[in-house]
Amino acid sequence: MAAGRRRDLLSWIGVFLVAGWGLVQMAPILWMVSTSLKPLNQVFALPIQWLPRPVEWGNYPDAWNQFPFARYFANSFIVSLSVTVLNVLLAGMAGYSLAKYRYFGQRALFIAILSTLMLPIEVLMVPTFIIAKDLGWLNSYQGLIIPVVADAFGIFLMRQYMLSLPDSLVEAARIDGAGELGTYFRIVLPLCWPAVLTLAILTWRETWDAFVWPYLIITDDALRTIPIGLERFESQYVTTYNSVMAISTISMIPMVLLFFFFQRAFIRGIALSGLKD
Amino acid sequence: MFLLLVVFKFIPMVQALYLSLTNYDLLSPPRFIGLRNYVDLLGDPLFHQSVAVTVYYVFGTCVFIWFLSLAAALIFNAPLPGRNFLRTLYFLPAIVPVVVYAIIWLFMFHPYGLANATLQSLGLPSLGWLGDRRAAMPGLILSALWRFVPYFMIIYLAGLQNIPNEYYEAAAIDGAAGAQVFRYVTLPLLRPTVLLVIILSIVFMSKVFTNVLIMTGGGPGSATRVLSLFIYQTGFQYFKMGLASAASMFLLFGTMVFTLLQLRIFRDDGRG
Repeated sequence: MAAGRRRDLLSWIGVFLVAGWGLVQMAPILWMVSTSLKPLNQVFALPIQWLPRPVEWGNYPDAWNQFPFARYFANSFIVSLSVTVLNVLLAGMAGYSLAKYRYFGQRALFIAILSTLMLPIEVLMVPTFIIAKDLGWLNSYQGLIIPVVADAFGIFLMRQYMLSLPDSLVEAARIDGAGELGTYFRIVLPLCWPAVLTLAILTWRETWDAFVWPYLIITDDALRTIPIGLERFESQYVTTYNSVMAISTISMIPMVLLFFFFQRAFIRGIALSGLKD
Repeated sequence: MFLLLVVFKFIPMVQALYLSLTNYDLLSPPRFIGLRNYVDLLGDPLFHQSVAVTVYYVFGTCVFIWFLSLAAALIFNAPLPGRNFLRTLYFLPAIVPVVVYAIIWLFMFHPYGLANATLQSLGLPSLGWLGDRRAAMPGLILSALWRFVPYFMIIYLAGLQNIPNEYYEAAAIDGAAGAQVFRYVTLPLLRPTVLLVIILSIVFMSKVFTNVLIMTGGGPGSATRVLSLFIYQTGFQYFKMGLASAASMFLLFGTMVFTLLQLRIFRDDGRG
């Protein structure tokens, strides 16, 4: 009885500490949102005003209309969707080939694929840029999409998952007369959907958030994605803090929504990203 | 897919190696100059500094990450009321888009920003933060911890939840308490996760780019010019593609060592 009460007390102290810590963690985000609703002359008012008064809703449309943000959002959407679909499709097929077929050099191929995981864009900036330039892909959607699809993590993830599916399932489908593609799309892929979902969310998030690659190859304003547009906006309107914070808040919303709707897959993706980057 | 990997990963790797031996400005064709770029880099104090800054950043962040994220994971693994809600809040910094994260902290470190307001309310003097040669790095590190401690906490949590409950029950029957359970049950079973976090965080932090570019641009002076920023500026601002490639070889070598270690650990993990 007494021990139980002591444990209750301890766990409440724990909650208290964690909640306090959580508030500290949240403070920068809250401050951003709060600043986005303040008039400019109150941004640095002391003591810190957490609740803006008066609330300047107008900051949002003002900031939004300075730059073609609708265009940036559309670009980010097009690129993220294309990369995600292509990556899941191709990584799934590649993983399938590595998991359910036997051929010469398979192991070497798998190791070669894994080894590319250690080549993030930060390391290969220069040569990847030169290849995209030689292909004439600077300032183009294919330049934003295709090189990013080349990522080994998805292959690895799909292969590991498919290894856990029984071979007899694939054989049964073949005996029943399903072609190779039929077997893959109708039997294998539906059974892999947790892996597919995880990979899709992870890919979407990374593409939506990608900065380095678009920053290198895009100079055409009509092709900028959100992160690039936001960076440009920030460097141009440095001191208009409330506008910058308004746009930042808007850019954060899609990611937060994604996180809340797919929290489990999201967290599984991060826990799995052990092999990523 | 294999073709894509060849075109965008293998060819670039070989090309980076080749370019690192040339003088190339994107306009005239690359001219072979042997190891000159490497010799130049090794004699360049700015390059030395950028390696030093990268090492400072990587270990400055990682050491804190290892301990803080483990502590956070242990707390969130305990049965607390409202745990899931709090964990979601705590995790938010890790999902903020990277540019937004950089902008938020640029603003936090504004001379009249929240960081200094907090220091003042505690009766401490304000700092110059990102504008100050000595405070810029600690500022960057602080902001990186804000974002990455929750991230690595999730990896630790996954590891903690993989430990079967029977071990704790057995420990409880044997009369082990708090710290003992941690020392003799949790820690040994968590070893693979700990190693994973250590290596992953090092690889992760060593390719830092976006937040430094936006928050300080490498300054003040070159106090925060990390290696990836050095590569970017050399290649895309001074158009010395050969020299930049040689510098990437150093970064590549660094991340490769740690990634190979990581793959090795994964294999051992799979076997056991």
